[in-house]
Formats: sequence, C-alpha cells, structure tokens
Amino acid sequence: MFLQQLVNGLTIGGIYAMIAVGYTMIYGVVQLINFAHGEIYMLGAFFAVTFISVLGIPFYAAFPLAMVCCAVCGVLLDIFAYRPLRQSPRLAALITAIGMSIFLQNLAMIIWGSRPKPFPQEALPAYFEKTAASFGGVNLSWFHLFIFGLTIVMMVGLNLIIKKTRWGRAMRAVAQNKTMAALTGINVNRVISYTFALAGALGGAAGIMVGAFYNSLYPTMGYVAGVKAFAAAVLGGIGSVPGAMLGGVVLGVAEALGAGYLSSLYRDGISYAVMIIVIILIPAGLFGRVLKETKKSM
Amino acid sequence: MRNKRTLLFTGLVFGLALVFGITTSAMAENIRIGVASPYSGGAAGYGDNIKAGVNLKLKEINDAGGINGKKVELVWGDDVCEPKEAGMVGAKFAADKSIVAVIGHLCSSATLAAMPIYVRAGLAAISPTSTNVTIGDVGKGWFFRNCYTDDYQGQFLASNVVPKLLGKNKVAIFYENNDYAIGLKDSFMAGAKSGGVTVTGAEAYMKGTTDFTPQLTKLLVDKPEAIFLCGYYAEGALIAGQARKLGFNGPLFGADGIDNEDYIKIGGKAANNTYLTVPFLADAAGPAGQDFAKRFKATYGRDVDWMSANAYDCLGILAQVIAKTGPDRKKIRDGLAAINSEANGYKGITGLTYFDKKGNCAKPAFVKMVKDGKFVSAE
Repeated sequence: MFLQQLVNGLTIGGIYAMIAVGYTMIYGVVQLINFAHGEIYMLGAFFAVTFISVLGIPFYAAFPLAMVCCAVCGVLLDIFAYRPLRQSPRLAALITAIGMSIFLQNLAMIIWGSRPKPFPQEALPAYFEKTAASFGGVNLSWFHLFIFGLTIVMMVGLNLIIKKTRWGRAMRAVAQNKTMAALTGINVNRVISYTFALAGALGGAAGIMVGAFYNSLYPTMGYVAGVKAFAAAVLGGIGSVPGAMLGGVVLGVAEALGAGYLSSLYRDGISYAVMIIVIILIPAGLFGRVLKETKKSM
Repeated sequence: MRNKRTLLFTGLVFGLALVFGITTSAMAENIRIGVASPYSGGAAGYGDNIKAGVNLKLKEINDAGGINGKKVELVWGDDVCEPKEAGMVGAKFAADKSIVAVIGHLCSSATLAAMPIYVRAGLAAISPTSTNVTIGDVGKGWFFRNCYTDDYQGQFLASNVVPKLLGKNKVAIFYENNDYAIGLKDSFMAGAKSGGVTVTGAEAYMKGTTDFTPQLTKLLVDKPEAIFLCGYYAEGALIAGQARKLGFNGPLFGADGIDNEDYIKIGGKAANNTYLTVPFLADAAGPAGQDFAKRFKATYGRDVDWMSANAYDCLGILAQVIAKTGPDRKKIRDGLAAINSEANGYKGITGLTYFDKKGNCAKPAFVKMVKDGKFVSAE
C-alpha cells in the first residue's frame, strides 16, 4: 500500500507543483498573490475539452493549443485587471485577484454550464490505460508516466528559461528591483506579461492533466486546486521556483500518506497542517529568502 | 439645501409606495411557492431535475385555471447544496410574506440548516428528496417529506440488496463527509449485522474532491467484494473510474444520490455493474407514473429520474392542500399534517403519500442497475 500511496501522492503532487510554480513566479515579479490562477488551471481543462469535442482536434495538438490559450488568458488578466493597479496599494490588486477568480468561475459556468463534465476518454491515446510497469503490487499506467514525464520536462524547461535565457535574466532582474531593472533598459511591463504567460501555460497544462486523468471538469475545480497550490508555494517559500516545485510534491505525498495511514476524513487538514508546521519552524518556507523588513516594503 | 432634502424625502416615499404597491398587487394575483435546490455548483444537475418535475406540475395546474382561480408562481432559491447558502435562501423565503410554502431543500444538510428558520417563521417545507433521519425532529411539525428516510434505505441495502441481489458479504464503504452520507452509512452499518454483511472498512471524502486514489488504495487492501458509493453522483462516477483503474472489478452500489444520467456520462465504462436504490422507477410505476414518464421524456428529451417524480408529487400535494385551506402559511401546515392516514393519503405518481407526526412517509424502494451504459431495472 505504501508504494501505491506514494505513486498517488506523486501524481497529484506534481500537478500541485505545476500550479504552485505559477503562483510563485507571479509573486516574484509583481508581489501579487494571483488568486485567479486556479481559474486559469480550470480554463486549461475546459479549453482542451472544447478543442477535442467541438473542433475535433486530436489530444496531442489540443494539449499545447490549450496551453497557449491559457498563456494568452494569463496575459489578458494582467493587462486588464492588474496593470491598471500597479501603482496602487497591494491590497487593491489582491482584492482584484479574488474578484477575477469569482468572475472567471461564473463566466465558465455560463459558457460550459455548471454540471461536471467528463473528459472525452476516447480522444486519449489508447496506450494510456495500459500498464507500463508493475512492482510490489503497484500498477503504473502509461498515463502516470506521461504525467510524471511531462511534469519533469516542464520543470526542467522552466528552470532553463529562468537561468539561461535573456528573458529569464530579465525576469530575475525585475523580481529583484523593478526600478533598477527599468533603468537598465528592461521593458518591465513586457517581462511581467511574459511571466503571466509562462505561469498561465503551466497552470493550463496542470488543468488538462487533472481533467484527463481524474476524468472530471467543472467550473469551480480551480478553487481547491488553487488553494492547495498556494499552500504548496508558501510551503516552499513564496517567490522561490524550486521551492514551489518541492512544496507541491511534499504536499501531494503528505496528503496521500495522511489519508492512507491517518484519517481520510482529515486528508485536506493534514496537508495544511504540514504547511503550518513548516511555516512555524521555517517562517520563510523551505527555500525562501529571509528578508529584513525595510521601510520601503511597508 | 432644505428644498433638496424635502424633494429627496418625497421621492423616497413615492418610491416606497410604488414598490409596496407592486408587491401587494402581485400577492393578490398569484400563489407563490418557494422551490429551494442547488441550481449551480456541483449538485446543479439535481436542481435541474427538481425544476423539470415541478414545472410539469405547474403547467398542469395553471393550464387548468390555477388553484381556486389563482395562478401558482414558483420562486427559485439556489442553495448550492450547502448549509450556509441554504440558511440565506431560508431567510429570504421566510421574510417574503408572499411565499406561502416551500418545496425543498434538496440536500439533507441544506434542509437541516434551513429548517429552524422555517420553524421560527411558521412556514411549512416539503422536501422531495432529503432523506436524513434527524430532519423530522428539527422540523418540529413544519417539515414534511415525500421520500423514505436513510435508515430505511441503508438497511434495505444492507439486508436485501447486498446479500440477496448481489450475493456478496464483504463490503467497503466510501462516504462523503456530510449529513446525508453519514446517516446512510450509519444505517447501513446497523443493517449489515442482521444481513450477515461484513464491513471491511469505511473511508470519508470531502465534497468537490477529484482524487480519490489514496482512500481507495486503503480500502482495497482489505479486499472487499463490493464498494458502497455512499454519496452523490458527481463524486461517485469519479470513484467508480478510479476504483476500476486501481484494479477493482466487483460490483459497486449506492443509494438515490447516485441516480443521475451524469453518473453514466462521467463514469463511462466504469459505471457498469453499479446497483442503486431509488424511490421511483418508471418501469415499476402504475399507469399514472408511466404516463408521467412519457410526458417527461417528450418535454425534456431525457429519461425521468426519481427526483423529478417526487418533486412533481410535492407540488401536487401542496396544490391539493392549498385548494382546501387557501394560501395561508399556518393553514397549509395544518392541512399537510392532516394527511395522516392511508384513507386520506395523496395518490400521486410515486404511490400513496401520508405523513406521520415527524412528517415522514413510508415509501417503497426499487433497485436499478447500470448495464451497458444504461439504467435498467435490476429485479
């Protein structure tokens, strides 16, 4: 049972990690908790299903296409909702984020209806259901491997983008100090848009994977996933990308093992309890930088 | 300044007069009945059923000239199947004096939350679907229901369906953490002993969960022969799919909460070999029920479900009572309470309905199953 629970935990943990990375990147550049991020995740699943069932696009093409749409949604979200408030107090942007979350949820409800929808299983490649590996009584399907593989590829890719490319360097510069970055000739707004696009694409990918793997999508699915991923980001130290990745996986595994060995009634409680304990012991999170409180940040 | 203020005041008075005028005139014209169900959120599919059922009856009543010449008007209250929203809907209905009775709520936990408000306001509620046992006590004489209770349903599953129909005796229970499912689980456990059924394990999940694999993994360790989907269809369908993925091929079974076409739509192939108890089954109903099933299919293009049937009868019962007592909250309650024996019971499409002191009624349960992607009678 332990191994099976570990597989269960890693599957959902990898997905939490992909959403959490979006929270943390956006927080890094604009110091905003983008509460509408869970809704981008939800939109990803709905876009993919719409492409597959309405337009008849195959799964492998619908996947990246839906990611691109989510990236665009992320950018639009920033341009319309957050950019006008860039100079306002942070609280205003935070409330706007919550408002956008409610707005997008209800928009999806109007467009796609409030009933839970299945993911068109016949559109998924047939080998997904087949067993890829079997050990210790655990059956690992190709779908599991697909999720693990894609999660790892995206995480590594994201790291490369941040560490090695000019855009990544610009992002890190903006995260460190917006004014200085602007003075060196970086177009700050464009870098922020780029970050939102990246976060949106990853969140969308997570949404598609959850929708396809657990076979259910509904307009409010982003809420719980968003809160969990936010907890994962805080656990890892908000603003830190590797922290968010680790936080997501830790949260997913804690949840699965907690439900398996302690009480399933408190499954969600267990994952939040892990977060609270870590935050009490290491207030900045696992990978967070400890910053001295300065006047400016007040 | 003073002039402006006077003007504002006069405007306000006129405005208020206008508003009151409109509401009182509406009151004189229509008999208003509140219908509380989830119309959005995860349980919205159920709300659709209730709407479909009461709307058919509404059309029937109004086409025949209404009740004593007055048209019936329905007021929808969306409780999202959540206690806190149900409280708000309840308060709204209670405060609106033009509403004379309530049909609802749908989910037991919602009814439990709203009932004390109705009791305080002196407003009778008749639920088409809330099966939790304790509501009868909370209702203090203002609550009625047109369905059986969970203790009956759970015991019927444990002593009849599982050992006799399925021929199994090792069962794992997977229940949602809410009033409906916990009540159902407890009554199943109580009935299991006498039915010779062993419960190998019981795990809980929260509403809105999508990943059930940790709990299922734990339940499957004890090798149950059947899994009890103790909750609603949206989660039930996902549990079915994930249980099959984890290698469980035995029968699944559940109660009325699973009965929705979406269970098959979402569950797909995994939904096959699921058994459920329902209060209404068109195949087993009398001629009036068969006729209703036909009309339902013609109007909505889908098969009738038990919720629509029960909701249809709820409005029928209220209409019959109001025709006798007139649209008065207290008199309607007394009228409903007077339906207390077989002799004066209401003959609807779901059988004969009459209430005991707690507003409960005795209704039979039918068993149906999912076979080749379709609901069919299991008997």
